[in-house]
Amino acid sequence: MIHLQQVSFGYDGREILSAVEAEIAAGSFHFLTGPSGAGKTTLLKLLYLEALPQGGKLSLFGEDPVTAGSDARMQLRRRIGIVFQDFRLLDHLSVAENVTLPLIVHGRDPAKNAGDVADLIRWVGLSHRADAPPRALSAGEKQRAAIARAVITSPDLIIADEPTGNVDAEMGMRILRLLVELNRLGKTVLIATHDLGLIRSARSMVTARILRLADGRLTAGGAEL
Amino acid sequence: MSEGTPQPVASTPQPLPQRLRLVPGGGWGAALATLAAAGMAFLAMLSLVAGLAAADLAATWQRDLQGSATVRLSAPDATSLDRVMDVLRRTDGVAAARALAAEDQAALLAPWLGEGAALSDLPIPQLIDVTLAGAGPDVDRLAAALEAASPGTVYDDHGAWRGPLLEAAAAIRNLAVAAVALIAGAAAGITALAARASLAGNAEIVRVVRLIGGRDSFIVRAFVRPLVWRTGLGAGAGAILGAVVLAALPKAGAALGLTIAPGLGSLFSFAAAVAGAGAIIGWAAAQLAVRAALRELP
Repeated sequence: MIHLQQVSFGYDGREILSAVEAEIAAGSFHFLTGPSGAGKTTLLKLLYLEALPQGGKLSLFGEDPVTAGSDARMQLRRRIGIVFQDFRLLDHLSVAENVTLPLIVHGRDPAKNAGDVADLIRWVGLSHRADAPPRALSAGEKQRAAIARAVITSPDLIIADEPTGNVDAEMGMRILRLLVELNRLGKTVLIATHDLGLIRSARSMVTARILRLADGRLTAGGAEL
Repeated sequence: MSEGTPQPVASTPQPLPQRLRLVPGGGWGAALATLAAAGMAFLAMLSLVAGLAAADLAATWQRDLQGSATVRLSAPDATSLDRVMDVLRRTDGVAAARALAAEDQAALLAPWLGEGAALSDLPIPQLIDVTLAGAGPDVDRLAAALEAASPGTVYDDHGAWRGPLLEAAAAIRNLAVAAVALIAGAAAGITALAARASLAGNAEIVRVVRLIGGRDSFIVRAFVRPLVWRTGLGAGAGAILGAVVLAALPKAGAALGLTIAPGLGSLFSFAAAVAGAGAIIGWAAAQLAVRAALRELP
């Protein structure tokens, strides 16, 4: 599903990622870990196509996003659900509207998917908050709303950037369980985290692999937990 | 999720919007765009009607002056007026000729000489008002015939002062067109600024929509639609206000003997056209501005 060959990327002449090699198979569950500043977020940006590699080759769903046109890149993005550490929910929309947004953006009829939206909001435990604006939610509720938004269009790949970074341990476990459940449904899941407790907790739930970044280089390229 | 959920739950569909208000409305920027559109439409109405009035005035002058001429006998005697009138009656292109009576000429001179001036003591030329037919007479041949009938007789086709008057009217009309063009340009600029401000203030929305697979065309529509609505609304209000003000002007114009504004029906047709043009200009300017700004965003 994802192949990285000698991928490199930098800002302002400073190399953030250097000769990254990795392979993520469809249906797998990966943790991307490493200290702060190791390049985790940059690597994720390359994977969800907010940035493009400056060197090496990235293959996503069998396509090279660097040579693909903007329309093809947009189609690739539609196969990826992203959960951000800072949620990135739109404050002027309710939870239900935020979850519905990807359907509208993808040109799908929200009315025909109203049942899915309601089920999904219930699944993440936010039925009672469906009409609330994000500012009225706790951090854990916001993250669960963000997960619902990320998966409403049933993407093939779910990328979560520090999804438990702003929540307590109990809520972190709840969010991890949601992501594990999505993996059991066949979704490929990649979680960037420096929370080793979270990674240890995942051992009993799922067969996960580790990608470890240090100073812009992968020091563990997919070892099992 | 479309493919199911981990835990079977009873589905309780809730009403969902068909179209989200992706861009938050309101704020001073939105109010300013609406107000600016209203002001521009109001000024456009005034300029448009001023231009049309000038064009109408020019056409009237042209029509009236082209259809008439004046013959002036410098030193008329007992028979010269009859000879000149006879020439005029026999000339093709002259529909009628009327020698002004002494009291008519006195009325013309009254502003300069005062009422009741003893004109009989003054060498006043005799004026003949000539009404032309069709393309008018052969001026050179008529001038020669008049000279032969009474030496010193002048045929004046009003060209000497018709030209400057028409040029003045044309200048007013051109100024009005330039004013409308400037107003349209200013309206486009204000809308473009409002569009850029809206995009800059909502850059996070753009980023999120792009990351969930939204095309830029979707983003453009989402940002342009409310702007077009606001500029259309403002332009409509401004144009209607302009129409109302202009509808009140004929009373003032009538006192000056001028037709300042067209009929009420025409005024509101102009208002509809100005409002529509405002919306189109707003749409075009916002489209260009949003597309350009999106290219600049990372």
